[in-house]
Amino acid sequence: MSTIAEQPSAIRSYYEGLAKGVFRAITCKDCGGYTFPPTGCCEHCGSWDVTPVELSGDATLLLASHNISPACHPRFEKIAPYVYGHIRLKEGPIVQAIILGVDPTPQALRALFERGPVPVKAETLQMDDLPVLAYRIVG
Amino acid sequence: MIGKLRERIAISGVGCSRFGDLLETPELKGTTIQELTARAVKEALDDAGLTGQDVDAVFAGNAMVHSSQVPGTYSQLSKWTGTQFKAGVHFEAQCSTTNVGAALAAMAVAAGVYDTVLVYGLETTRTKVKDFSPYEREPISHQQTWLWTDMAVNQAYGVPQGYDIFSTYNGLVALGYCRKYGMSIEDFDRSMFELCKTRRLHGSMNPKANIQEKLEDRAKREGFSDPFDYWRSDEHNPFVAWPSRLLSLVTTADGASAMVITRADLAKGGKSPPVELKGFGISYSDLPWYGEDPTYWEFDRRAIDTAFEMAGIKPADIDYLHTHDCSHISGICTAEATGYLEPGKGLNAARDGRLRFDGDRPMSTHGGRHAFGHAWGASAGTDTYEAVLQMRGQAGPRQIKKPPEISVIHTHGYAMIGTVVVLGSI
Repeated sequence: MSTIAEQPSAIRSYYEGLAKGVFRAITCKDCGGYTFPPTGCCEHCGSWDVTPVELSGDATLLLASHNISPACHPRFEKIAPYVYGHIRLKEGPIVQAIILGVDPTPQALRALFERGPVPVKAETLQMDDLPVLAYRIVG
Repeated sequence: MIGKLRERIAISGVGCSRFGDLLETPELKGTTIQELTARAVKEALDDAGLTGQDVDAVFAGNAMVHSSQVPGTYSQLSKWTGTQFKAGVHFEAQCSTTNVGAALAAMAVAAGVYDTVLVYGLETTRTKVKDFSPYEREPISHQQTWLWTDMAVNQAYGVPQGYDIFSTYNGLVALGYCRKYGMSIEDFDRSMFELCKTRRLHGSMNPKANIQEKLEDRAKREGFSDPFDYWRSDEHNPFVAWPSRLLSLVTTADGASAMVITRADLAKGGKSPPVELKGFGISYSDLPWYGEDPTYWEFDRRAIDTAFEMAGIKPADIDYLHTHDCSHISGICTAEATGYLEPGKGLNAARDGRLRFDGDRPMSTHGGRHAFGHAWGASAGTDTYEAVLQMRGQAGPRQIKKPPEISVIHTHGYAMIGTVVVLGSI
């Protein structure tokens, strides 16, 4: 068995956090901007002086469509078609992710579109091999 | 950044294969990828009045190596293109590959390193190598195509967590457009129908297009007297990402394209007049490709502004425009960003037939990604090929009445590299 310690990885840390319902990002000590999901560098100003932060999970769903079926990736075959949305996080970043709480039908998506932006809350969707980020419509 | 070319640069030759399926399309069936590429290269070199030994360097583009299986493309294709012992590189910028290649070649020539560069791109998005055969191919499944293609998209977080091109590039952009401009979903759908009709019309007039059947003829063949009923049929044209339908999208194809980039003062002796490569702009972004407003893409803004500044043109100077139209609504948003179409009025222009070859805002006269088809790393070169034909007055039945003097070609290389090339008559 190897005794060599694993190096830190932002990607591994993100998914390990997601498995526990923690939504990890970084903030920049120079410009204050968020990078989500996290890397090792500020996506806004290029600074390497960043620090880990946990997001609230609160967000607003701006628009929602659905994916194609069968899914482009085998991981999502079982749940396709699924709703896929354009989201503004409370902390500011724009994210696109799977949306829970609405059917992937033209009728349901149209009703949602006509309703306008709605609050959503982040949660973890456990696929067979990976926890993934999703947002559920609240209220 | 100076943002200027220190030499006048010309495209002295262009070439393009038929786009289609190496297993099914009449002009392509049984062709190997080497021979497919050689056809496009030969056409471009003949057009420029050169052989492969007359060029100084070869920039060989191919994005999806999984299906083509010719990495080290410059050397593997050298004996098929007559370019042995030249300088060369295999490069990719996904669906912007060939036009990024043109920009790289222009920089190399303007820097005085080379006089003449051959750029080519090849791609097979419908077929792949069968087993270990040197010449037999087999179809690629829909899922396999996108699994391989999406390897160019954020593999840390985007793709693993359900990213889907159809919603990100189509449905969400469509909804953003409708909300921003107060357009009804019904008007959007009707406009997409009219835009598809235009693309199919252009394809029907192009013997190299993947789809050469008008939408109206297809509807009739399927038993519909009203083509719009065919359009709204879930069986024939389902929503792939509501409110976007299947026929507002790219069609996959196998194909190749090529062009010869040289110093303008050397661009003589070809079959046809050269065209000046006046400027280019390149800007890329990881996901998300847009902020709160899905109709505004910052990297496209930067690529457009850089290219226009280098070329010294303004939106009013554009006579012919191609925008990347894997997604018809995204292509309209980009056309509005260039200033060629008025913001919020692009779909009205499509409905009014203004984007047709005989309209006052002609676009994508080869048929676009839907009708001409899309072979990722080869496609940008076909857009440039079409623009050059139009500027020379060589586009046959789809010729724009007054040959364009300024053409702008925009492409999106997955995922995403906005690339804008400005061509001018010499």
